[in-house]
Amino acid sequence: MIRFFLILLFSAFGALVVQHFIPALPFLAGARVLLMPLVFFFGALTLPFGGMLALAFACGFMWDALTVQVIEVGMDSTSAMVVEIGFGWSILLYAVLGAVMSGFSPLFKRGRWEIHCLMSGLCTSLIVLTEFLLISVRRAALYNVPFEFNRDIWWRIGGPGLVALVLAPVVFFFLKSLAALVGYNPNEAEPEEEV
Amino acid sequence: MRRFTLFALIVFALAMGWMFALGPSGTQRAQTQFLGVIAPFLEKGSELERKITDIHRGLKKLEELETENKQLAVSNKELQAINQTLRDLEVENNHLRTAMHYRERAAFQLVPARVIARDASSWWNTIKIDRGSADGLKSDMPVLTESGLVGKTTTAIAEHAATVILISDENCKVASSIEGTREQGIISGERGSGSSQPALCMRFLSKTANLKPGQKVYSSGVGGVYPAGVFIGAIKEFRVRELDGYATLLPAVDLTTLEDVFVVLGKK
Repeated sequence: MIRFFLILLFSAFGALVVQHFIPALPFLAGARVLLMPLVFFFGALTLPFGGMLALAFACGFMWDALTVQVIEVGMDSTSAMVVEIGFGWSILLYAVLGAVMSGFSPLFKRGRWEIHCLMSGLCTSLIVLTEFLLISVRRAALYNVPFEFNRDIWWRIGGPGLVALVLAPVVFFFLKSLAALVGYNPNEAEPEEEV
Repeated sequence: MRRFTLFALIVFALAMGWMFALGPSGTQRAQTQFLGVIAPFLEKGSELERKITDIHRGLKKLEELETENKQLAVSNKELQAINQTLRDLEVENNHLRTAMHYRERAAFQLVPARVIARDASSWWNTIKIDRGSADGLKSDMPVLTESGLVGKTTTAIAEHAATVILISDENCKVASSIEGTREQGIISGERGSGSSQPALCMRFLSKTANLKPGQKVYSSGVGGVYPAGVFIGAIKEFRVRELDGYATLLPAVDLTTLEDVFVVLGKK
C-alpha cells in the first residue's frame, strides 16, 4: 500500500507539473485542464481513509503553495500583508471531497469503474466552484467588488469537470496499471482493526 | 471507528490547525520552498515545450517557407528604413537635449527572464519565471516587455524562480493615467474574463471624462511600485457608473503568449 501511495504522490506531482503546460481551452471560455484532482480522486477510491487524508494533504498543500496570494491591503501607514485565502483551504476541500469519494469505494471495488469518471467530473467542478466562491467572498470584503456570475464563469467552472470526465478513464487505466506493477490491488480493501 | 482511521483523523486535524495558523510570512516561506522544488521540473517542461514548438515550426512546407521568406525580406527592408529614420531622430534628439541642458532620462536596471510556466488555475493569473532571489529579485518589482507592462513579482521568490502576478489578475492594481487628459484611475484585471486576450478595467475615473477608444493608458507612478510612463493598454470602451467612470482596456502586451520578460530591479 505504501509503494502505491508513493506512486500516487509522484503522479499527483507530475500531473501538477504537466497541467501547467496545457493551455486554457478557448472553446470552453478559457476553462483549464486539471489533472492533479483526477489522480487524487483515484487515490480516494482506492486507498484506505488514512491514505486518502495524507494524499489530500499533499495535493492541497501543493495547490495552495502555487496559487495562494499574499496581498497588501490598506493605504500607506495602515497597509498590511494578508493571505487572500488562507493556506490550507484546498487541503480541507480535497479531504472533504475525498471523504465523499471514499463513500463510493465499495461500489468501485465491485468493479464499477465509471464511478471514478462521474465523480471526478463532478468533484473537479466543485473544486473550481468553491475556489470561485471563496475568492468572490474575500474580494467582496477587500475591494467591494460585486459578486457576479456570467456565462463565461459557468463555463470555467463546468469546463474542467467536463474535461475530467473525458480524461478520467485514461488516468484510471494508467494508475491501475501502475498499481498492478507494484502488486497493489485497488479492488481489495485492507482489513482494519476495530477500536 | 477503526484505529488507523481515528489516528489519521487526529493527525490530519493537527496538521490543518498548523496550516491555518500560518500567517503571511509562513505562507510566503512555504510557497518559496515549494517553488524551489517544482521550478526545475517546470523549467525542463518549458524547454521540452520549446523544442516541440521548434520541431513543429521546422516541419513547415517549402511553399510556406518561401512565402514567409518573401514577407520577411519586405519586412526587413521596411524595418531598415524605419531604423535609419529613428537613428536620425536619436541623433537630433541628443543634440537638442544637450542644447537645452536636459537631464539624462533615468534608465532602469533590467533583468531578462524567461517564462517557464503559466498558471494552471482558473481564477488566478500568474506566470513563473526563471529568475529569483539569486538574481536580485524581490517582491513587488515591476515586470515588463518591450511592448508594455506585464505585472509585478509576488512574495513567492525562490533562488532561481519567481512568481509574477499579471496585470490581468484582479489582485494586481496599477495607478494609471490616460494620455491627453488629466484623468487618473486604477487598473486591474477582471475575474473570470474570457480565454482570449483578457480585458483590463480602469476604475475611479471621473464621470465626465471624455474618453475615446484607442486612447493610450500609462502607469502614473503613484504608489511607488511601477515607474511612471510604462504603456499599459488602450481604451476599448468607456461607461459611466453610479459613482465613477469605468473603462475597459486592451492590454499592450499579449499576456497569453508571453515568452520573455524583463524585471525592473531599480534605477541605474
